[in-house]
Formats: sequence, C-alpha cells, structure tokens
Amino acid sequence: MTSKEESFRALVAGHQEMVINTCYRFVFNREDAEDLAQDVFIEVFRSLEQFREEAKLSTWIYRIAVTKSLDHLRRQKRKKRFSSLKRIIGIDDPIAEIADSNGDNPAEALVGNEQAVILQDALNTLPDSQKTAFLLSKQEGFSNQEIADILKTSVSAVESLVHRAKKNLHDKLYAYYAMQ
Amino acid sequence: MFFTCLSSQVMKQELMMKRHNNNIEEQVAKTMMLLDEIQPIKVDHHFRVRLMQRIEREFGQRSEYSRAGLRNRFDFRLAFMALLIMVNLGYALLSVQHNNLGKTSGISEMIDNLSDDYPSQEFAYYDQTSAYPAETVTTESKTP
Repeated sequence: MTSKEESFRALVAGHQEMVINTCYRFVFNREDAEDLAQDVFIEVFRSLEQFREEAKLSTWIYRIAVTKSLDHLRRQKRKKRFSSLKRIIGIDDPIAEIADSNGDNPAEALVGNEQAVILQDALNTLPDSQKTAFLLSKQEGFSNQEIADILKTSVSAVESLVHRAKKNLHDKLYAYYAMQ
Repeated sequence: MFFTCLSSQVMKQELMMKRHNNNIEEQVAKTMMLLDEIQPIKVDHHFRVRLMQRIEREFGQRSEYSRAGLRNRFDFRLAFMALLIMVNLGYALLSVQHNNLGKTSGISEMIDNLSDDYPSQEFAYYDQTSAYPAETVTTESKTP
C-alpha cells in the first residue's frame, strides 16, 4: 500500500461519519447519502494534490459534500420533472416506479414519512445558500464559523441566511397546510 | 337579541379560524421539528472497503488507460514518422526518375535534331568515311 493510500484511508476514517451525515441531511435517504459520500471521497482522492491550504482540509471536504448533495437534488428535481412530463404524455417510467418503491424502506425513519416528503419539497424550493446554511446549522458539529467557511461567507451572513431560511420554510409549509 | 346572536356567531367563527390557524401552526412546527429529530446515521462498516475498491477500480483503470493512451500516442507518432519518410522517399524517387527522363529525352532529341540538320546524301559520305577514317582524311585534305 502506498503512503498516499494510507493517508487517504486515515482521512476517510476521520471524516466519513460527518460527510455521510451531511449528505443525509440533504437527501433524507441513507443509500443516496452513502453513494454521495463515496463520490465525495473519490473527488477528494482525485484532487487532494491540488488542495491549497487556504482552508482547513475538513472545510474543503465538507464543501465538496455540500456541492455533491446540491447537485444530487438538482438531478432529482430534473428527473421528477421529466417523469411527470412522461406521465402527462402517457409513457410509464419504470425507473420512477423503482425509485418510489425503494422509498418505502421501513428501516429508515424519514423515508416513507409523508411529513418528511413535504418538508423536503419545501426545502427544495429554498435558494441553495439558505438551504445549505439552514441544514448545516441543524447538524451537530458545525459551528456558524465553520458553516461560514464552507459557504465562503461571514458568520453574520450565515445567521441571516438561517433566519431567512426558517421564515421562508415556515411560510411555505404554512401555505401548504392551509391549502389542505 | 339579534346583535348578541350575530356577535356570538362572529366569535365562533373567529374561534374556529384561530383553532384552524393553530392547527396549521402545529403541523408546521411538527414538520419542522423533523429536522431536529433526525438521528445521525452510523457508518456501514463496508463503506470504506467499498470506497477503496472503487478507487482501485477507477484509478487503476485510469492509469491503464493512460498507459494505453501513451502507447497509442507513441504508435501514432511512429506511424506518422514512417509515413513522412515514405513520402520523402517517394518524392526523391520521383524527382530522380524525372531528371533521368529529362536526360534521356535530351539525348534522343539531340540525335533527332542532328538527323534533321543533315539529311542530304553528302553526309552519307561522312558516314561512310567514318567507317574508313584514313580515306576520308585524304579526300578532305585533297579538296582545297
């Protein structure tokens, strides 16, 4: 085993839990979170030599995790739009069915939970910066300073983002339940 | 009587609205609470094994690809060089051939010209004399 691989193993061991849980906050699904975390570490392995120590290594890794998670959500959104378009046209989408059936996993606390779906939908309507700041603030282990470093902004900006995200989320959920 | 009835109805409606709003607020709060209730997930012990396998697969393949790419590039360069050499050789051969053709055509042209310039019978004499050089010299020397 090369020294690069050894140090990489140590790096994974040190950060895997935080990375998986960060991704899980965004996607609400364990399997997707693990897949995303794998992508994150692959990216880290690929560009570790290009890492300039302007930020902490952990901050850099979590930034990659956030970017990958947001990309995943965007892809999901596109897929949803496409499958609903297919449904309108009248073409069955077997992939969407498989994805839906995978969602009913009783081992997961959030998946299959109607409220979780509503919450995720509402979260997905928020701007990326608000969503990221809010979700990271809800996760244990991230201080406002760290969130600011990940988002490359100031602590006060993070506080403002979190505040606005809370308000927006409340309004969206309120509007949703009022319509029911 | 009418006013008391109306006001009680309005109050009832307000109460219902308030209750409805409270209900919505409760649902909103409950939904938002989900984020606080999310328990951190434990990492599967196969996670790192799978990750290292994937890295081995992807980056091992990539280095093989890059090696193959280098080989291909090298082969391409060799082929290109061979092609250049062949083109040069071909050009050289053609130009040599062209020069030779020019020379041979020049000689044959000269011969033709000569035969055109001296077509008369007198020169047959020279032809004959060329066969007997001693005689020719004597006749020529006698002429003047």
